[in-house]
Amino acid sequence: MHELSIAQSIVEAVEVKATELSATRVKGVRLRIGEASGIVADSLTFCFEMLASSDPVLAGAQLQIEDVPHRARCHRCDQEFAVVNYIAQCPTCQEWSSDIISGTELLVLEMEIET
Amino acid sequence: MPKVTIAQNILAVNEQVAQEIRQDLTARGIRTLNIMSSPGAGKTALLERTIERLHSQLGIGVIEGDVETSADAERIEAAGAQTVQINTRGACHLEAHMIRAALAEIELAEIKLLVIENIGNLVCPAAWDLGEDLRIVVVSTTEGDDKPAKYPHMFATSQVMIVNKLDLLPYVDYDLQKVRQQALAINQHLRIFELSCRTGEGFAAWCEWLMTTASGL
Repeated sequence: MHELSIAQSIVEAVEVKATELSATRVKGVRLRIGEASGIVADSLTFCFEMLASSDPVLAGAQLQIEDVPHRARCHRCDQEFAVVNYIAQCPTCQEWSSDIISGTELLVLEMEIET
Repeated sequence: MPKVTIAQNILAVNEQVAQEIRQDLTARGIRTLNIMSSPGAGKTALLERTIERLHSQLGIGVIEGDVETSADAERIEAAGAQTVQINTRGACHLEAHMIRAALAEIELAEIKLLVIENIGNLVCPAAWDLGEDLRIVVVSTTEGDDKPAKYPHMFATSQVMIVNKLDLLPYVDYDLQKVRQQALAINQHLRIFELSCRTGEGFAAWCEWLMTTASGL
């Protein structure tokens, strides 16, 4: 439901950079979105395309989303493991204490432009 | 066709504003709570009862987030706290710039505790840092007992979970133990309070913790 606000933030970040570089067109925008960031990629793409279509520089820009899996490292056995449904219990030694090492990312990585 | 690196957190603008709010409030000795729940879990009732018990000792300011109406702000004001209403006109969550604007309307010198009541929604508010020190998620026994498993992001990013409407437990099929286990599986550091805003059961432990937390700056 909040994907529209997220899409708005992406459009703003891209617009600032595009203006700075005097881009005439933005062809694509690449994002990195973690599995545990609470974002639905399809919904985000829909919102981004809708917002971009009313901006002459961004119209038609393609959103590319790089997914990052939710992973943690166990405090006891140092094993890295996949966190499933946010439950971060080490599958090797059953320890509950761990550090989240990826999956919460929400980044605009780069864009492809014409000048 | 050149590729240009941006490498920016999508919520960077919000996070910067939130950080400024946090620094400002911390410097003034104010603790800030962001209270979140689904609609009807009892956020406003929790605030009313908390203000009744602690306002004279703490000085409490409240920012009320609602999609429409000032009904909740009126309830909170009647309980005795300084209150500012934010109506989001349809938006499903509060953002840091809304809090910054609302803070201009609060006499900060008079408060030690600022409570932000977020929009009733267990999904979207979790993504926005509002400059709070602690996030509190409220669930209640009249909802399903699978809320932590269904909305894990909210529980993973909160420090406190309150289970409200404990007085209704005999009348509903709500497995308290299951809720505790689910919530702790997602977030082992979660502090849990079980209480009833209606009868006051369990309220003393919550108030005691809040007093300690608010004076712990």
